[in-house]
Amino acid sequence: MISFQGNSFREYARKKNMHELKIAEDLSAIVFETAVNNHLSKVTKVNIIFGQMIQIVPDIFEFAFREIARNSIAENAELNIEIVPVEMRCKNCGSIFFVTENRFKCSTCSSTDLDIIHGKELFIKSIEGE
Amino acid sequence: MEIKIMKNILDRNQNKADEIRNLLTLKKVMMVNIISSPGAGKTTLLERTCEALGAKFRIGVIEGDITTDRDAQRLKKYNIPIVVINTEGGCHLDSHSISKVLDNFDLDNIDILFVENVGNLICPTQFDLGESFKLAIVSTAEGDDKPGKYPMLFREAAAVLLNKIDLIPYTNFKIRNFNSDLRKINSHIPLFEISCTRGDGLAEWYKWIVEQVNSVTHFKHGVPRS
Repeated sequence: MISFQGNSFREYARKKNMHELKIAEDLSAIVFETAVNNHLSKVTKVNIIFGQMIQIVPDIFEFAFREIARNSIAENAELNIEIVPVEMRCKNCGSIFFVTENRFKCSTCSSTDLDIIHGKELFIKSIEGE
Repeated sequence: MEIKIMKNILDRNQNKADEIRNLLTLKKVMMVNIISSPGAGKTTLLERTCEALGAKFRIGVIEGDITTDRDAQRLKKYNIPIVVINTEGGCHLDSHSISKVLDNFDLDNIDILFVENVGNLICPTQFDLGESFKLAIVSTAEGDDKPGKYPMLFREAAAVLLNKIDLIPYTNFKIRNFNSDLRKINSHIPLFEISCTRGDGLAEWYKWIVEQVNSVTHFKHGVPRS
């Protein structure tokens, strides 16, 4: 188990090329701002949605969030990460299908002219608190 | 109580990127966000491109570098405006860092602004810089499995450059595997098989990039470029 003190995790994360840290920082800013605007004294849960195409390692992301939230009103907040699969709509025949094994091709008519519906999300859905 | 938010976590980055895109559209500047692993040949590609197109187009470069300015030093000889952004360990450039340095360029006198992102195939893909398009560079020495492992980049990029094809005989790189993986992910994406050191395939790349810049900057000074 690696343990970090104070800002050392941030330094470590930067050295190890972690974009998870940057995204966790932006997430925390939204959480804190929303909590203050709504007069919450404690954040108990943060609900987020990640698309499957987004290459984020949930464990590292959560670790980063924990470090940033330490000694804050979100210190004990549960991070609820919902992962949504990659879903496309065929521009040719209108079929809607899930992409598996990186196969970006309509499962009905084989067209490759597609619009993405889901899979690139990097959303904060809501926060819960009191 | 639950407070609904439903917004993009990277909203701050996205808003700034949209602002940059509007500015560059107004100024008719084409910004190319170059993404690759370290050592794939981003700087060498820029060297060749400056040599080939520097007389015809006004090129500017933003160099994203973790700690040094070595890439920028290599491009100095072309006498073009270059700004280095040291990310101090950061794995990607974001729109705010681009926005801060844009003032250093005379955008009325730039046709193509190349952004050499930090060498990394994952993080830079996540952060919109306000570019006209992303360009992916892969070198054969990295192996033929890159599209399959990093699908998002190959889905988002406008073109792929496969560099160092002269090294194929010394590697286990199979161009067929690379191609079939890439086509599964993005069937129409232009692929240029090049060697920046030997010159293979570069003419096609120059032709393509000229087509792109002409579509953006065609009437920049009221005179169509030939």
